[in-house]
Amino acid sequence: MLEIRDLHATVADKPILKGLNLTIKPGEVHAIMGPNGSGKSTLANVLAGRDNYAITGGEALFEGKSLAELEPEERAQAGLFLAFQYPVEIPGVSNMEFLKAALESVRTAQGKEEWDSVTLLRQARAACKQVNLDASFLKRGVNEGFSGGEKKRNEIMQMLLMEPKLALLDETDSGLDIDALQTVAKGVNSLRSPERGIVLVTHYQRLLDYIVPDFVHVLSNGQIIKSGGKELALELEKKGYGWLTGEEESA
Amino acid sequence: MTLSASDLAIDLKTQALANARRHGSDGDALTDLEAASFPERKTERWKYTSLKALADGHLNAVANGEISQPLPALSEFVVTINNGQLQGSSLPAGVNLHHDAPVVNGLQTPFAAYNGAVCGQPVVLEVAANTRIEQPIHLQIQSASEAPAHCNPRVIVKLNAGAEATVIEHYHAEGQALTNAVTALITADNATLTHYRLQGEQANTLHIGTLIIDQQGVSKVDSYQLMTGNRLRRNDVRALVNKSGAELNMKGIFVVRDKSHVDNQLCVEHAVPNCQSDQNFRGLAGESGKAVFNGRIHIHPFASGTNAELSNKNLLLNPGAEINTKPELEIYNDDVKCAHGTTVGQLDAGQQFYLQSRGIPAAEAKRMLSLGFVNELLMALPDAAVTEWAQPWLEAELTHASPAGDAA
Repeated sequence: MLEIRDLHATVADKPILKGLNLTIKPGEVHAIMGPNGSGKSTLANVLAGRDNYAITGGEALFEGKSLAELEPEERAQAGLFLAFQYPVEIPGVSNMEFLKAALESVRTAQGKEEWDSVTLLRQARAACKQVNLDASFLKRGVNEGFSGGEKKRNEIMQMLLMEPKLALLDETDSGLDIDALQTVAKGVNSLRSPERGIVLVTHYQRLLDYIVPDFVHVLSNGQIIKSGGKELALELEKKGYGWLTGEEESA
Repeated sequence: MTLSASDLAIDLKTQALANARRHGSDGDALTDLEAASFPERKTERWKYTSLKALADGHLNAVANGEISQPLPALSEFVVTINNGQLQGSSLPAGVNLHHDAPVVNGLQTPFAAYNGAVCGQPVVLEVAANTRIEQPIHLQIQSASEAPAHCNPRVIVKLNAGAEATVIEHYHAEGQALTNAVTALITADNATLTHYRLQGEQANTLHIGTLIIDQQGVSKVDSYQLMTGNRLRRNDVRALVNKSGAELNMKGIFVVRDKSHVDNQLCVEHAVPNCQSDQNFRGLAGESGKAVFNGRIHIHPFASGTNAELSNKNLLLNPGAEINTKPELEIYNDDVKCAHGTTVGQLDAGQQFYLQSRGIPAAEAKRMLSLGFVNELLMALPDAAVTEWAQPWLEAELTHASPAGDAA
């Protein structure tokens, strides 16, 4: 479903991805690990279509369509979801109003049945419950005044409602305590299905204890330098990245 | 042929005086007008607002058109003034409508002087002492004229000691009418006034208005001023916080799209010790819209213990739009607290990407963020009837695609 071939990308004109190859099939869970500055978050943001993140070579195909030609909203409508590393606060726009606009657009584009406001509210409340967010968060401004953990849970709550075909989670584990990590992992695991692809971008293997990946890739200097199964993550945890990249890791 | 600004100023004054004399105006009102000078290009207070629209001859004719889309009633109690003339009223017990107008303090502009000289019948709403009026009083001030023409509504709201009321001052205008309005809010000791000023006149109309808030007593006034732009909108708001212990809060939203214009000149005069004032305005400008906000706080030598604040945050929706904002502090006493801040920014790219990444189209994301920017103030309005009217109004203005504004 996602086919990345020799992808080159720049952030504000600085080359970050330098020939990245990755294939993700439905039903698979991939973890992308790597030292700071290796390009992990860049990959997630390039795929979602953030401004200033430009594809300069190669291609990224989502279900056969070139992502470079799609606006961010078209990527979401096609079934791509990015859980942000740093979810932004939007005062004055309520979470509920935001979900309504998002779901209306995405469900219509995907030919799914439209949810009336009663159904939407019921679904949203259920999703909140699943990630331990009080339903009162629906009335608040998007992420406004949320703690770090609440923001991350809000991302997963949105993901549950959007039912993406491919979910990209950008360091969703960062800043979470162990309880929140388990809650988030449970939410993600509930979405695992034969039709859905999941990509976990993470710095630590800790998350992978709870969401067990099918594949683990190591990203360094804009390329995937090693791929393996879940045992690779454990090896990285023990040895660090230095033995692969040939450098001391700068933390 | 185009007139120079100074020629126009002379023309306007000549026409204004001729109208006043024909009207039979005399005494102080005429003297004030004779002494007034109409703004020229170099007049500092009118730097950003050109009066050249008035060269179309608005002062030469009196507006007397039919109001084709009258305002809906936002309360059981309504006062209607069409083309400057009282049309009808329904008022609760405790509110007396009469025409015996007190002198309005603090008027400064030539247009206010002109209003005073030609306004035949000022509408005075007087709330009896120690009376609480539960329901808002909806003042519908409407004008209409197909050709350039003007009218001069003058309203004075007077709250006697211990009175409490909510007044919705609501303007509507059609065609090419110029509404040259003067409104005064006068509060005695222990009075509590909630005031709305809603200005949503049609695109080709003009509005030059003066609002005086005269807190003669220890009173509390909350004033909410919401407006969209039209061909020319000029608001001179002057608050006289004149008795120790008085409290004034002014909050507002202005939205200018296309080629519309809004110029807000606010001035809070702190003349006595231990009063409190707050000005909090948010502005949005799109297309070639132009907005001006000048917020002045004037603290006189005796006004120790004053606590005055001013905030104006603005959002430019595109590069062609313009907002000029300036806090102006004049402080002659050391024992005061005074805070101010003004900003002009653009929609946040990070917020926009966040919404788009959830499938929300770019234009819709922009609309949501613009509305979000003003929502904080909108949600704080104490009267649901006003919020219900104002929200779709501003939403339509921000959506822009549907200028008809029937979004519910």
